[in-house]
Amino acid sequence: MTNINGKTYAMNAITPMNAFYTPILKLIFFILGHVKPLQADLINLSFIHFARWVVVKRHKFPRLSEKQPEEHLHYDYLLFFSNFNGTWNQYIDAFADVLSNGLNLIWRWSAKFPGSRPVTAFKRYIALVQFDTDYYYVAYPRATANDVKAAHRVNAALEDFARNSKDMTPADFGSAYLKFVTQVQADLGATGIGPVGT
Amino acid sequence: MPNQNGNVYGLTILSPIINAPAGDVSHDCAIRDYLASLPRDHHSPFAKISSTHLARLVVMDDVVFVGTPAREEHLKSKYLVFETNFDGDLDAYLASMARDAPDEVHAVWQHCVGYPGTQDPAAFAAYMKKCQLETTFFFADVNDKTVQQTLRALKVQAGVAHFIESNQGKSPAEIQAAFRQFLDKVRHAPEPLAGEYERTHVPARGQGAVVRTQPLAGEHEGQPNG
Repeated sequence: MTNINGKTYAMNAITPMNAFYTPILKLIFFILGHVKPLQADLINLSFIHFARWVVVKRHKFPRLSEKQPEEHLHYDYLLFFSNFNGTWNQYIDAFADVLSNGLNLIWRWSAKFPGSRPVTAFKRYIALVQFDTDYYYVAYPRATANDVKAAHRVNAALEDFARNSKDMTPADFGSAYLKFVTQVQADLGATGIGPVGT
Repeated sequence: MPNQNGNVYGLTILSPIINAPAGDVSHDCAIRDYLASLPRDHHSPFAKISSTHLARLVVMDDVVFVGTPAREEHLKSKYLVFETNFDGDLDAYLASMARDAPDEVHAVWQHCVGYPGTQDPAAFAAYMKKCQLETTFFFADVNDKTVQQTLRALKVQAGVAHFIESNQGKSPAEIQAAFRQFLDKVRHAPEPLAGEYERTHVPARGQGAVVRTQPLAGEHEGQPNG
């Protein structure tokens, strides 16, 4: 089991969902995907590199051979995969604090979902439906989502500064350099080892 | 398309695992054994499939029973879940899997139903697409930068921090000269390695930003200095 690689945690969860609700949930995701302001809280949380929800209809589990037994399921299933920074508890707490309504809208169609508040029952539910990762690869294991965004800002600022300061006199360069330092100073935190925790 | 967010593609694969009770080792255990030994750093097969941002492989044993009054049910097969986030389009990625990491791909997927091998990339791609689930909603925090752009940006960020710190107090002319050298170094730096755990730059104390892995004396967990 290896849910963590560097600073990133891989979460997998599967919840049973009455097939009757699947079109409703898909409509909610369609709206969420097309009305970008609805994603603002998710973006502002800024500790998720990538996340996805996948609805598997009960008769749509891949069947590759006649010899493979056919699945006969009562429920459709909602799969959730997240790649986030921080510990499991921090993630669930932040999710429940900031995205409570959004979470309820997504998981209320899943059987026995208790709601995202109070967080104790919510955590118990997530622990029940979560399954562990066997192999996890991260191309930039020492960087958080915030580190990545900060690095791209520094990179863009450096390119601008290099282009604009190319032919400056030392005096002009000195003032432009100060402006550059002021611009990037908040984005210069070092990357490093991941947190210890679960 | 829900599988795509900006330039990043979110691929979700569910490959049924062979169920052969008469065998010496069950196929799901064989996959887990192999994955436990696979490097996760820059020696990872996914570092060779260079457009991969993050990827995971998971053996899904069964669905979950959440308690009464929900109905208890079970899968008839175990499934290998492959979740990956990469740059570009699906066909190029699947071709890269078959071309750049054929041994590792084979070691994992040989335990799955209907796997055709990697010798024929077209057959492999067709197989993977049969196992693909369409993503219902895909979120990507940064969706317009490639893996290499991000790795390079992280390296530049560390370099800029070091440059600023080590040139404090110097005259504008000295900084300008040093900046030209720094820029030249940045432009000609080798491509950073994906998945690498090595520190990109850890200057000595007093000569740049120091990355600490141990608390300083008197500093307690949850109460960092500064």
